[in-house]
Amino acid sequence: MTALSVALLIPWVVGVALLVMDGRRRSIRWIAVGALGATLVALGAVAADVLRAGPIVVTTGNWPLGVGITLRADALGVTFALLSVAMLTAAVTHEAFDHVAEREFPGLVLLLAAGLIGTFLTGDIFNFYVFFELALAASYVLAIYGRTPRVLGAGLVFTAVNLLGTFVFLLSVASIYRVTGTLDMSRIADRMAVADPNAAILIAVGFFVAFSVKLGLFPFHFWLPTVYAAARPAVAAILSGSLANIGAYGLLRFGAGLLPRELELAGGALIVIGVASIVYGGVLAVSRRTGTEMLAYSAIGQVGYVLVAIGVGGPVAFAAAILYTVVNAANKTMLFLTTQQRGALVGGLFAVGALSIAGVPPAVGFIGKLEVFRAVMGQPALLLIVVLGSLLSFVYAFQIYQFEHWRPEPAMARSGEGWWRARIVPISLGGLILALGVWPEPLLALSAAAAGALTGVAR
Amino acid sequence: MNLVFALAAAALFGVGAFLVLHRDLVRLVLGVVVISQSAVLTLLAASLERGAAPIYPLPEGGVSDPLSQAMALTAIVIGMAVTALLLVLVLRVAVAFHSEELEEVAETELALDARSEEVHARAHADEDAAAG
Repeated sequence: MTALSVALLIPWVVGVALLVMDGRRRSIRWIAVGALGATLVALGAVAADVLRAGPIVVTTGNWPLGVGITLRADALGVTFALLSVAMLTAAVTHEAFDHVAEREFPGLVLLLAAGLIGTFLTGDIFNFYVFFELALAASYVLAIYGRTPRVLGAGLVFTAVNLLGTFVFLLSVASIYRVTGTLDMSRIADRMAVADPNAAILIAVGFFVAFSVKLGLFPFHFWLPTVYAAARPAVAAILSGSLANIGAYGLLRFGAGLLPRELELAGGALIVIGVASIVYGGVLAVSRRTGTEMLAYSAIGQVGYVLVAIGVGGPVAFAAAILYTVVNAANKTMLFLTTQQRGALVGGLFAVGALSIAGVPPAVGFIGKLEVFRAVMGQPALLLIVVLGSLLSFVYAFQIYQFEHWRPEPAMARSGEGWWRARIVPISLGGLILALGVWPEPLLALSAAAAGALTGVAR
Repeated sequence: MNLVFALAAAALFGVGAFLVLHRDLVRLVLGVVVISQSAVLTLLAASLERGAAPIYPLPEGGVSDPLSQAMALTAIVIGMAVTALLLVLVLRVAVAFHSEELEEVAETELALDARSEEVHARAHADEDAAAG
């Protein structure tokens, strides 16, 4: 219970304090890394508690239950919080080893972490909106990190599109309050079951649009390639590895958790959109010639698998969706961090990431694809699409590998200590991807527990 | 009453969407603001009961739903903050591109993209020639 409050307060307080200091100084950025590490430890304690003894509920300000805002940590929430904060820590550590170009970067990343943790660990949908906006506001400023004209133009698109997405979300929150008379997630789930189906479908569509914009699914993807390709490696890693998780979490929590009836009804449509994402992202990624653009389109394709799994429904498919989100976040964080580096070692890391995207053992992407296969086992057409998507990812990833890593290394590449410092985080992430691929048991257990929390709420 | 609220919110959303589709960046910001007001109005309209202001001592008869008003206030404050952020962003873009027309910004970006694409195409052509 205290660990939950601590996990939320550390990044918030330290983030606000760091915003007024100069983040370019060495001590400040390492304070940020330390604070994120401490948050990760606190989240680990929360996760251990939740997995052992079930969900933790804290009502803020000692209000009676049902009046105060509740924080609620269940297996799904802590899984996403752990994943996002871990990827944020990796990106910030990488940037701290290199150099920080803007003074507000460390503070903003901490505030983003606070927003993400709050979003994943709240039991109240309006509170969800507030933390969602906190995370997004930090990411709007992070998206223009570097301040080149190209980044500014992309940042404007990112901000405008995501703002519209959050207002659509707010409209759905207002409607859900009108229909159910409560903002508490567990009670909404009960009362939506007897609500007017027409209203429920409209609400569900609003949530779907809002989270699809965040995730970059096919018809809502238009902002994504510009932003990911223009951003600095660390920022692109943060956006695709941490922030995009809100989309997957939202679809799972609001779809499978709060509106299971509507999710079942729309299952076919979700699968079609997911398949369109896989094919569109895959085909366009093949046509790209630079690593960052390939990764941006690949991100659109990869979230398609998550949506297909959610559309199929059921505990196995939800577990597959959660596992795939984890795998995809790890892949994208590592690959985006290495986009501007060259050399034999980075080439090897890129190959590991490419194998993971394509779903080839021993990388953990294989486990992700395997679980998606298991989820769609009953439908041969879907199986075919998933195989086709994997083939496309194999082609686009190794095509870029050939273009970018089979070139002679620039002369200035190897320079002692700096060389290692710029590669230590990608190496660790690559090691993690391989280790989880060889020993996936903990990851499988965690995603099964998270999916169990979800179907438990639904019932 | 519900119908009036619904029509007003829909009209605001429509006006906002129209403004967002404009080329002028300042109108884009105005469009986002108007859409945010549509959401705030919907929050107010979602209140479960109407009546006097819910301030102690409670008056005779019903009071209006305080929760939806609290939500609307929060949404207004958040909307104000992100609008300020968006305006600053537009200012930075206008300075960087010497223009506040989306089309000119896009043209400059296209030119940049075309140049980088050309560089990559040349590099790949060189490589193919070397390989063949």
